Amino acid sequence: MSEMDLNRFETLVAAYGATPSRWPEEERAAAEAFARADSRAAALLAEADSIDALLFAHKVAEPSRTLRAMVVEAAPRKRRLAGRAKMWWTGLGLALAGASGMLAGSAATAALEPISANVQLYSQDVPALDYSTEEVAQ
Amino acid sequence: MNPDDPDGELVRRVGEGDVHAAEALVARKLPRMTALAHRLLGDRTEAEDVVQEVFLRVWKSAASWRPGAAKFDTWMHRVAFNLCTDRLRKRREVALPETWDAPDPAPLADAEISAEQQSDAVGRALAALAPRQREAIVLTYYQELPNREAAALMGIGVDALESLLARGRRALKARLEGADE
Repeated sequence: MSEMDLNRFETLVAAYGATPSRWPEEERAAAEAFARADSRAAALLAEADSIDALLFAHKVAEPSRTLRAMVVEAAPRKRRLAGRAKMWWTGLGLALAGASGMLAGSAATAALEPISANVQLYSQDVPALDYSTEEVAQ
Repeated sequence: MNPDDPDGELVRRVGEGDVHAAEALVARKLPRMTALAHRLLGDRTEAEDVVQEVFLRVWKSAASWRPGAAKFDTWMHRVAFNLCTDRLRKRREVALPETWDAPDPAPLADAEISAEQQSDAVGRALAALAPRQREAIVLTYYQELPNREAAALMGIGVDALESLLARGRRALKARLEGADE
């Protein structure tokens, strides 16, 4: 328990008020013991209590719903990341589906048509098309 | 995260993008931060601007928040306190007439005075205090910060905090009772 005398008790109450829970923890027990033991403490506590009552008469309005909503709206969200990932996977899926469709189409075409000159034709530049070859392919 | 930090787990979840954790953190801290800013600035609109900025910084920092000496609530107080004192400093940089003084609050002698009127009168008396006295009272009484935390936030020692508190309380009483200091 820390040292407590009238001078320190007066300073303590003048600063922190009359409620012991507001007194510094390391001095609280000593101050409470002093208040019980010294008759001069009561007047100091009564004076401090009147100022405490004034202070705690002050109320501030609760935050508005609008403010609360704006603050929450700005919070980081897992869902957004998930949404982006979903979009990415969807895009990838579509791309793969497209690619597999092309492959399937090619395979089907390959099954229906003989390869021969067609392979060479598709790999050549369009301006260099050999119409005679195309005719052969038809 | 400080293992004794009551907000630690919530902040970790906010950092992972858990919107329910963000809502819980807002429910827990928004009234506290709004009250702090409102009492320091004496202006609700400005207080709301500050609070939005505080939470933007929370959202940005939550994912990278790491254990440290300070509790999350203390860190939030520091951010809000600094934003408020910056605004107050800018206000003081605007030249005021030499005769300017904050309006005196109405005395509270009338026993019939309503709770709302009394609250308004105390609010005006708080606003009329010297800034450092007001800061000390707001942090200690309304925000209920331990004396060492309040002193550290203000960049002063505990003795200086106690002096500001005692002078602030006396000045508040004198103003509210309509007496000369």
